[in-house]
Amino acid sequence: MVPSGVTPPLIEFIDVSIARQREHLLSRVSLTVAQGAVHVIVGPNGAGKTTLLTAALGLIPFEGRILAHWRGDGRIGYVPQAFAVDPSLPVTVEDFLALTRQRRPVCFGVSRAARARIASLLRDVGLDGLEHRPLSVLSGGELRRVLLANALDPLPELLVLDEPASGLDEGGVGQLEDLVRTLKGSGCTVLMVSHDLEQVRRLADRVTVLDRVVVTEGPAAETLARHDVAALLPSGRRQ
Amino acid sequence: MTPLYQWAASLAERGMLPSDFQYPFLIRGFLCVLVLAPILGGLSHLVVTRRMAFFSAALGQAALTGVAIGLLLGEPLNAPYGGMFGFCLLTTLAMVYVKRHATLPPDTLIGVFHALTLGLGLCLLVALTRQFNVHQVESVLFGSLLTVTDADLLLLLAVGVLVAVLLVREYNKLLLDSLSPPLSSVSGADSAFLEYFFAVLLTLSIVVSLKVIGALLVEALVVVPAAAARNIAGSARSYLVWSVVIAFLAGAGGLGVSTKLLVPTGGAVVLAVSAIFFVTLAAGALLKRRSRVSR
Repeated sequence: MVPSGVTPPLIEFIDVSIARQREHLLSRVSLTVAQGAVHVIVGPNGAGKTTLLTAALGLIPFEGRILAHWRGDGRIGYVPQAFAVDPSLPVTVEDFLALTRQRRPVCFGVSRAARARIASLLRDVGLDGLEHRPLSVLSGGELRRVLLANALDPLPELLVLDEPASGLDEGGVGQLEDLVRTLKGSGCTVLMVSHDLEQVRRLADRVTVLDRVVVTEGPAAETLARHDVAALLPSGRRQ
Repeated sequence: MTPLYQWAASLAERGMLPSDFQYPFLIRGFLCVLVLAPILGGLSHLVVTRRMAFFSAALGQAALTGVAIGLLLGEPLNAPYGGMFGFCLLTTLAMVYVKRHATLPPDTLIGVFHALTLGLGLCLLVALTRQFNVHQVESVLFGSLLTVTDADLLLLLAVGVLVAVLLVREYNKLLLDSLSPPLSSVSGADSAFLEYFFAVLLTLSIVVSLKVIGALLVEALVVVPAAAARNIAGSARSYLVWSVVIAFLAGAGGLGVSTKLLVPTGGAVVLAVSAIFFVTLAAGALLKRRSRVSR
């Protein structure tokens, strides 16, 4: 567990507010993600969890400040909540993963070095042999694993996971959790949204309960024990 | 270029090339097809992936208005490139800007520009009829090989090389941005730059293709080759290869048909590419059925 105040921060959200069409999605949210911690954000649907992540990634405008205190190259790995693939798109898993791993345009073929790297990444996420499968025919769980493989290489300083376990089977969830622990051991900071409270208990160092404002924030076990977080979540997700 | 035409004509006389190649305009047309196929075929697979088919149609209409503006400003009838480039570039930048800053769906916004440029173009064409016989601008509307000059061919070649070099440089970023703008941004790409960049490349390519394909039909050659390729391709590489091959077959086939039957080149090319689309549709269905049976 990473105690607050001892470990230096990697990301600081200071009074972050986001409004869309005069509706406040987030209101004066302040929280600190400690370096090397697994920080999980929980909250009901519409609480602004994904909005907060996308603001941290610089994908949407916001009021307030988000400060990053990078120690290394500041690389971010990201697994988005939604990734819609056009069903007729002839792009394979290997093509997709090669897009950020080689300079040569993937339409001219995948280089030998990228091919070897991709094969190893796919092994890490339990998808060996799926290199030539079109993205459009993958199941939801397989697609999330491909996105995870994409986010893991090169090793990011911050890994942002938006409901990474959704669509994964039991084996996939276990593999995901092992990967998160390994990454944490390598010094990577993980900022994650999850609805699965059991998973949060197993993985998180710190938890923020969000419902457009920060409801509560603190060490995982303490925060989950102190508040009836399950009452905030959709009924199907309470565990 | 004359020695090249003479050499091709001598080959045609000796029976080593089809007899039509003794005419310089046909050799020019064939060279245009050779340059256009990789440009438009290569662009087309990104146009379809980035869902810019309607955008391309609007650009074709804008080119028509650009021709009218160029002629009214005193440009020569056979090369109103200033008006075309200027107006198309302005329309492209405006469409991308409004698309990025408005909350309306992109096709609705492009529809507004489509209507605006067409309306303006028609009004200007009426004004033009006081100076020119409107049939003189027919070649820009429907494409005509007879009006393609050596200068047009050289311009097409120069723009083709420029577009190819720039496209190869940014291809991976463009494809990732088409698949997932958030992932592309997180990987360090500038999504806004890529959108403007690709739209400008598309504009340049469409404008230099107009004399061969025609303003009203150019959209077909930046959409249908990729649509046809999707029916049979299984990877990014085969998608590109098929898009280019189909654009070339349609260009060469259309050229042959337009010469034999004396119909506008653009129309013949579009008919050829549409025919190829339906052939690939059937082939794709057959391939899928076969792979299901073998599993």
